Amino acid sequence: MAKDFTLFSHATRNLRRRPARAAILVVAIGLLVSVLVFGLSFVRRVESSIRATSERLGADLIVVPTGSRGAAEDVLIEHRVKTFYMDGSILDRVRRTPGIERVTAQTYLATIGGKCCDVAESIVVAFDPDTDFVVRPWLEKKLNRRLQRGEAVVGAESAFNIRLGLMDVDGVLFGNVFHIVGVLEKTGTGLDTAIFVDEKSLDDILRGGKVSVAPGSISVVFAKVTPGVDPKRVADTLEDTIIETDTVARRDVGKNVAQALSDIARMFLATFAVASLLAALLAWAVFSGVANERSREIGLMRAIGARESHVARLFLLEVVLIGAAGSALGMLAGTALSVLLARGFSLLANVSTELSALDRVGIGAAGLLAGTAICVVGALSPIRRTRRIEPLVVLKGE
Amino acid sequence: MRRLVVEDVSKTFGVNGTAVRAVDRVTFAVDAGEFVSIIGHSGSGKTTLLSIVGGLCRPTSGRVLLDGTDLGGLDSDGLAAYRCEKVGFVFQFASLLPALTALENLLLPLGFRPGRPRAEEGEAKARELLGLMGLSEKAHALPSQLSGGQQRRVAIARAFMNDPTLILADEPTGDLDEETEAEVMAFFRAMNRRRGAAFVMVTHDLSLAAQAGRQLRMHRGRMVELASPANAPQLAAAAEARRGAST
Repeated sequence: MAKDFTLFSHATRNLRRRPARAAILVVAIGLLVSVLVFGLSFVRRVESSIRATSERLGADLIVVPTGSRGAAEDVLIEHRVKTFYMDGSILDRVRRTPGIERVTAQTYLATIGGKCCDVAESIVVAFDPDTDFVVRPWLEKKLNRRLQRGEAVVGAESAFNIRLGLMDVDGVLFGNVFHIVGVLEKTGTGLDTAIFVDEKSLDDILRGGKVSVAPGSISVVFAKVTPGVDPKRVADTLEDTIIETDTVARRDVGKNVAQALSDIARMFLATFAVASLLAALLAWAVFSGVANERSREIGLMRAIGARESHVARLFLLEVVLIGAAGSALGMLAGTALSVLLARGFSLLANVSTELSALDRVGIGAAGLLAGTAICVVGALSPIRRTRRIEPLVVLKGE
Repeated sequence: MRRLVVEDVSKTFGVNGTAVRAVDRVTFAVDAGEFVSIIGHSGSGKTTLLSIVGGLCRPTSGRVLLDGTDLGGLDSDGLAAYRCEKVGFVFQFASLLPALTALENLLLPLGFRPGRPRAEEGEAKARELLGLMGLSEKAHALPSQLSGGQQRRVAIARAFMNDPTLILADEPTGDLDEETEAEVMAFFRAMNRRRGAAFVMVTHDLSLAAQAGRQLRMHRGRMVELASPANAPQLAAAAEARRGAST
């Protein structure tokens, strides 16, 4: 069966005539798109982590000791090991504040290696099973009971779990033996690496004397506001009335990180804009050369019946093929970079959330469109010039 | 039946600020199935006249009609369609696209037609024409893999791909050896008879021109002399004598 000779096959034949020239442009577009894909992946992943944290904590307000807001976000978003404490009486003061419906407290302890604990560099979270509304939804269904004294559950990415599903094993925390009875579902928050015990177990730990925290201290109060009440107004009230605390509304969780992220995103954008300009100029230079070089061929095509639009479509197709090939290369490179270099960026190394398949597809599509569009924009002027080449040039000899 | 009518056509170019009249009030007509040659020295306006008739450029004045259609009334796309569907060009130079094989160079004009034939039909026709040119074995060769004469024959075959009603040939055998030249002229005559297309061949070779049914002569942009089969031998002899005297 005969193979149809199409505009596409003509365009690919033309590109193969000068493979090195086509390859240079493909690589340039690829580098540009890889920067875009890497940047978008970076920003999107941190944004997702912040959003996931604020949504999954289930609290409208988070109350922490004054000056500890950043440390709290480090723990909740980036699973860093930091501790901060305030007096336990603050829980009641928050509870009594108008507009507050429910409150619960958590106390954070930092494990250290050696004699104290089986795992180093983890946060131990002590919570109150009677009032808790933060940890409970994450518990897997199989642990259909309250946590007992001497028992612990671990986050999905805890050093105890390391995705092996280790349960019914014992571990030592601050000299106390704990039985690991469950693994929390993955939450995408910084608490995925934490170890959870109840308040009675916390008392046992404190009595052991291997950790120096004043009895009755708490680290954070999570609060839900009464339906219909503006959390921001309640947060303002709390800040005014309990001066030894900072209050963070849900929508402001990760605000500092988000601000830093916004600066990073702007830097990526500026880099991408400059790189785009360079890529567009390169496309312009390459296709200007191609148009000059092929003016006689274009004249010949026009002389044997090609319309101006046919010639323009042929050139456009060549540009799109180069742009698409470069963009595809850039998508792969950018994705690989975002995975391989993730550990090199503390913001990425410490966030738990991976990009969803939808995010990856979206970022890939954005890269494909941007890379191809920049190539087309750069080549637009030479393409327009081809329309002005008269068929008469074919008679002018070689 | 009048196929091509050229009426009082002139073409003026601006060269270094000076107007140069390349074609000066030329009038002639060609019937369907007729084979006409136009002879003249270099710079006499033959090629410019051919490009006007072929719709490659527009005359400064006068008009050209093919089968009653005035080319002056066609826009850029209309002229492209005219060149694609009505005219078969054989250019002075080999004029193949270097990235395409011989077969693909022949298939190229089919892609410019609105109602292109099926791939099988197009390829069968291209192979038939290549066969008639003795190039069956070279269908998949790139122009760089063909000799100058073979490239020329591929370009000639391409002129017939869209079944044109008018063939315009500009020095079609310029770089061919005598044997190939004779084959090409035989091919032209066969296609002229078989398909009834009108042929207009521009050449400065009088013996080649003499093979046409009618000869026209151009001098300094004007059609100065009409030749016929009856007086062609005398014209050729006179030209030969002029050449001999000048050497």
